[in-house]
Amino acid sequence: METIMNNGKQPIFVRSIRQKDNYTFTIQWTDNKIVDYRLSELQKRCPCAKCVDENSGMRKNASVDNNVKAVKISNVGRYALRILYTSGCSTGIYDFDMLHKMGFE
Amino acid sequence: MPLKLFSEEKSSGAKHVIAIAAGKGGVGKSSVTVNLARALSRLGLTVGVMDTDIYGPSIRKMLPEDQLPQQKGNILIPAVSDGIKMISMAYFRKEHEAAAIRAPIANGIITQFIKSVEWGPLDFLLIDFPPGTGDVQLTLSQQANLSGAIMVTTPQEVAVMDVRKAMNLFEQVKVPFLGIIENMSYFQAPNSQERHYLFGKGGGERLARDYGVPFLGSIPIDPKICQCGDSGQSLFADGDMSPGAADFLKVANNVVSHAAAMKKASQDVLKEFELVWKQL
Repeated sequence: METIMNNGKQPIFVRSIRQKDNYTFTIQWTDNKIVDYRLSELQKRCPCAKCVDENSGMRKNASVDNNVKAVKISNVGRYALRILYTSGCSTGIYDFDMLHKMGFE
Repeated sequence: MPLKLFSEEKSSGAKHVIAIAAGKGGVGKSSVTVNLARALSRLGLTVGVMDTDIYGPSIRKMLPEDQLPQQKGNILIPAVSDGIKMISMAYFRKEHEAAAIRAPIANGIITQFIKSVEWGPLDFLLIDFPPGTGDVQLTLSQQANLSGAIMVTTPQEVAVMDVRKAMNLFEQVKVPFLGIIENMSYFQAPNSQERHYLFGKGGGERLARDYGVPFLGSIPIDPKICQCGDSGQSLFADGDMSPGAADFLKVANNVVSHAAAMKKASQDVLKEFELVWKQL
């Protein structure tokens, strides 16, 4: 039996997640796509209220340290990741669809 | 070539963690949860029930405890009723006392239920969701490591409409559907074979077809279900099986087979993990 969602698309989940180097981690998705994610690139897209202005949608953090690292990365339910950065930012939820799509950019 | 693997999966104690939800009140989620738990238990499975309705917990009445819950340090040992483990806000308040608490506190209680209850090994943990699609439902979806959701509806379109909204929430958080149970499907008078579809016919099956998810079964309006719920007795206690009891056993068998299939289908999915960063 397959997991079926209303939009008819097969949902994307994490098959494995590994630290690649001090600044990058790698996800293998359930469609077998393997994508490297540099933490500084992800923090530039952090959707948390500290990083994005709630009303204007503009980013508050103009500069992100290119060598930012993680303390830990954990799942949020079955649909997203939460990253605790060494910069202190920790409340952004990165949903799997957004992360998976990043692999095509 | 990938470097060292740091990911690890945390174990949750239950083989299947199932949300019982509807998005609305009045369709009989709690009654379905209790009777499904009893039916699964009758099939020889170990079952736990988490009542997450902080404002109107009703399961304790339907599943009266043989043993009260206990606190040991930071750990909560669940109550036990007829071999079914159970936790509910009802143990921490007087029966007629209103829980006048704001959402962050309710959320904190739910987080405690998720993190601090020592269930021991279970085949099924059934989580009776409160009505709505708000804070508590999101917290459960994010933290309870749900394997799937069972949606409960009554047949009429007005009820089905609200259930669709709750299904949309589960879609957003990628919790797969185990299936649909239609409650209060029909009434069959004693000594009669004729079924009366008081709330219309086939709403649950249509919903299941629309979403492409299994239809787990129909539960009739059976006075015995109501009597047993009010008195805290098991629907399956006497040998003479009522129509409601027979249908709950069918539903329980469907739940067991679909849950096994769902687990098999998600074998290579990393469901719970924490990647702790190392200096390489």
